[in-house]
Amino acid sequence: MIAPTLIGTLVFWGWPVIQSILLGFQHSENFGTVNHWVGFDNYAKLFRDKEFWQNLRNTLVYVAMFVPLTLVLSTLFAVLLNTKIKGVSLYRVIFFLPQVTMPAAAAMVWVVLFAKDFGLINHLLGTHIAWLSNGNYAMLVLVIVGVWGAIGMNMLLVLAGLQGIPKSLYEAADIDGAKRFNKFRYITIPMLTPTLFFTSIILLIGATQIFDSIYLIIGKTNVALPSVRSLVYAYYQNSFIYNDRNYGAAIINILLVINLALTGIQFAFQKKWVVYD
Amino acid sequence: MISSSARKAHLVVHIILIISAIAMLVPFVWMVLTSLKTTTEATQIPIRYLPDAPSLRGYIEAIKQSEFPHYYLNTIISAVMKTVFPVIFSSMAAYAFARIRFPGSSILFILLLSVMMVPNPVFYTPQYMMMSELGLVNTVTALWIASLISPFATFLLRQFFMSISKELEEASVLDGCNPFQIYWHIMLPLVRSALVAIVIIQLQWAWNELQWPLIINSSPEKMTLSSGIATLVSMFGTDYPVLMAGAFMAVVPMIILFFIFQKQFIEGIAFSATKG
Repeated sequence: MIAPTLIGTLVFWGWPVIQSILLGFQHSENFGTVNHWVGFDNYAKLFRDKEFWQNLRNTLVYVAMFVPLTLVLSTLFAVLLNTKIKGVSLYRVIFFLPQVTMPAAAAMVWVVLFAKDFGLINHLLGTHIAWLSNGNYAMLVLVIVGVWGAIGMNMLLVLAGLQGIPKSLYEAADIDGAKRFNKFRYITIPMLTPTLFFTSIILLIGATQIFDSIYLIIGKTNVALPSVRSLVYAYYQNSFIYNDRNYGAAIINILLVINLALTGIQFAFQKKWVVYD
Repeated sequence: MISSSARKAHLVVHIILIISAIAMLVPFVWMVLTSLKTTTEATQIPIRYLPDAPSLRGYIEAIKQSEFPHYYLNTIISAVMKTVFPVIFSSMAAYAFARIRFPGSSILFILLLSVMMVPNPVFYTPQYMMMSELGLVNTVTALWIASLISPFATFLLRQFFMSISKELEEASVLDGCNPFQIYWHIMLPLVRSALVAIVIIQLQWAWNELQWPLIINSSPEKMTLSSGIATLVSMFGTDYPVLMAGAFMAVVPMIILFFIFQKQFIEGIAFSATKG
């Protein structure tokens, strides 16, 4: 019964991981018909490449802005929706809508919204900012678009976590005369940590792989590309535009190592700061 | 009775939520409005909110100049394949991992889990090389062939199967059911909510995915909606009504599905997260 899943996983996912690692240590000629073993040459070249460090930095800057912002806003909206107000299901639907929207289509409309001269955002703010061709602003745009798409789902996860907190804890606190803030600080936050922990892992892993919005909102000819280009974008560019699949593999293997390290670190810290029951 | 301070608090909550909800909706409204404008209206300064005479030119051009029927068909085929097969295969594997003891089962399960930690782009170059050897580059098959299995779904369903009491199966064995009958008639109906969640997650991911379709298929009639509308940008440049019409046509089926099955969508996502 496990044969289809097992064979599929090994052939299409397991073997490619090994092959990607091998590709990183090779140099191919004649469209991949001749492969030499070159040891760490690709990585030596990568570590000397200023562009690689810039791409790594861009990816980390994006993650460092996107993950906390999404977590904070998702928690805020979840807490607001967890009060006994009317229209909760309507708000939930609206906040969730970006989640089911194709990122490619959303990216195209964000380009129009953030346009310098005729864009709605500059019009409403009364500014004349070149959002998409200034590196710093372009990074901000990517973060905003990312948060817009991610809030719905993460808000739901936090909401589910909030609703899982036993009411009896709050009732006991009421009897003891606890203030609202103290209830939030000493009951809600500790009881919510498993959810926040889980949510942050998913967000972190997703955020390190940012590609779609860079490809569509910034684009390959934009002067701002070097200041927002992520590791996955650089992997795509090297492997499939410049056809240097070995260098591309070296880049993506670095991301593999980073993600495995992140998962490892989070699981190690999980025991320390997550309160289960 | 609600106190006046509680009422005031509710009002503040509503104001924050309404402003945020409007902000979330702006891109959708602007997409539709722009798609109905003329090219000049779309880039006019000062900006115009509404088109003078709503025009369908954007939609007509987008359909005429690109391969929308192919985009739809390819996206539907690949979304169905990437949803139906992972559900079947994962539930089978998950049941086996949860119930049937066999040598090496825990090692195989850990292997499966570790694949989940790998970022998707790591697979793309080797998968591309594989497709190229099989002569599948630029085919619809290449869009889904590598995604018929789902380690995540297997993991999720295994958690579920393990929480079901064994007495039910023991009773079925006494009644003369074989393991496959137990799986099909007894266990699957019990994890229905998890299956619905997996269908929704897979469907949404298959519909919206961009990078793999972009890499593997470059001829227009083999593209998906996602990679198809991405090529509109290079075809139409700054003809925004056409781009927005294309974007709208690409997102509309999923949004309709979402409105019809919103309960399943929202609960499915929350569910898979809390039980996973």
